[in-house]
Amino acid sequence: MQVRIDLEKCCMSGECYYNHPELFAMGDEGASVVKPVDLDTDEMRRHAVQAAEVCPAGAIFVDEGV
Amino acid sequence: MAEAATERPALPDAIDPREFDGAAFQRDPFPLYKRLRDHHPVFHDRFHNRWILSRYWDVDGAFQDNASYDRAVYRPDGPYEFGSTHVFGPNILEYGNSPQHRWLRNIVAGQFVGRRLQDFLPMVEQICDEVIATFKDVGEVELVNQFSSQVPIRVISNMLGLPRADEDTFVGWYQALIAGLGFGGEHLARGIQARNEMWAYLDPLIAVRSKAPGEDLLSRIVSAQLDGQRMSPDEVKGFVALLLAAGGDTTDKAIANMWYHMLYTRPDQFDDLRGNPALWDNVFTEMMRYDPVVHAQFRHTTREVVLHGKVIPERAGVILYLGAGNRDERVFKNPDRFDIHRTDLHMGRENRSGRYKDGLPGHLGFGIGQHFCMGYAMARQEAMIACSKLLDALPSPRPKFDAHPGINSPSIDSGGFRSPETLWLTFGAA
Repeated sequence: MQVRIDLEKCCMSGECYYNHPELFAMGDEGASVVKPVDLDTDEMRRHAVQAAEVCPAGAIFVDEGV
Repeated sequence: MAEAATERPALPDAIDPREFDGAAFQRDPFPLYKRLRDHHPVFHDRFHNRWILSRYWDVDGAFQDNASYDRAVYRPDGPYEFGSTHVFGPNILEYGNSPQHRWLRNIVAGQFVGRRLQDFLPMVEQICDEVIATFKDVGEVELVNQFSSQVPIRVISNMLGLPRADEDTFVGWYQALIAGLGFGGEHLARGIQARNEMWAYLDPLIAVRSKAPGEDLLSRIVSAQLDGQRMSPDEVKGFVALLLAAGGDTTDKAIANMWYHMLYTRPDQFDDLRGNPALWDNVFTEMMRYDPVVHAQFRHTTREVVLHGKVIPERAGVILYLGAGNRDERVFKNPDRFDIHRTDLHMGRENRSGRYKDGLPGHLGFGIGQHFCMGYAMARQEAMIACSKLLDALPSPRPKFDAHPGINSPSIDSGGFRSPETLWLTFGAA
């Protein structure tokens, strides 16, 4: 799985890193970054999909096939 | 013995913790906030056994730091037992930073933002119209009782899917609950009675929605599962009571505060709104900075915290005065001036992170971080609709009385919500 954050779109809402701190963290200036964790687990897949769903900016992209 | 000889002159900057319990502080907490910010940024209040943070970036920092501060007062990894005396009964706010908290929150959080919120807005508009119709031919209105305390509670009970025929009964219970929460004494007894009546009313509804859930919020709450477990009926009722208070009372008071500031604090800027109702957005934002409904949030430390050369020990109670941080002159120019055209405050929609692309600081009125207000988007939309509908419906609204005692609150430190007790308007031909 790959998780990508579009920093142009990211509005710094914090919804991903506060609701899913296992996978995301607050980076510089409030934008989101993906933590260096093993992404290929069911738990991380769930965090990624849920975070992408609630992101108010639509800035999180999950590619499950990779 | 001459008393004068032993009496020390009071230090102008010293703070007597009993000031926090006085009526002067409830009415106008801002001078004390300033002394805290300027002279005691980390104040150890030994009398109430707690620590106080008051500067903008210190309050922000504590909100952001989940590793050092928790919302709940029990051990996050320990057993939890519901308190039985709280007016609301068991509720989500007591779950602290635990995974259960995130689970409970996510059951309903999605209902108050985005598309689901947009779906509800026509209903908000309809309820506003209905309530305004009850007084718009009378020529005057007491805005708190007849409008602001009517609209949000009707909206949230609709979202929950409670029968519309019972709405008036619900408004009555709600008003008793809120008075019980804020004022104590005989109000508390009435509040608990209202809660018991409301709970008895909810029992059969919960039973029905458990078996045959619909699309409403109550159905979502009763059917949500964590590890195969549903919430108990008492937890469901505590959740409902919290939604009534958090989703009703805060927005109710926000609406009253916005109108109060436009009528009494900045009547000159009230004129700006007539040609540009979108400016209610700025009124909301500046109200949430200048004197928000909620001024204090509570945390306890989960480890030792060092700040401004002071050491806050582990498991200490900490009050975050967001009402004080919002007036921090280190962040905002002329912080004691209410100005809907302010250029040093992020206007518009809030972020849970407290960070914005325009680089401006936001208000702290919804908190920040994990416990950021769940209903922030809904509160703003609802307040905007209610305020602009009212201004639209009433010809030349103006204060009925020249003087007003101002915004007040029950105890700020017990979570008292700030608002005017009454707000009389007249309208129509002068």
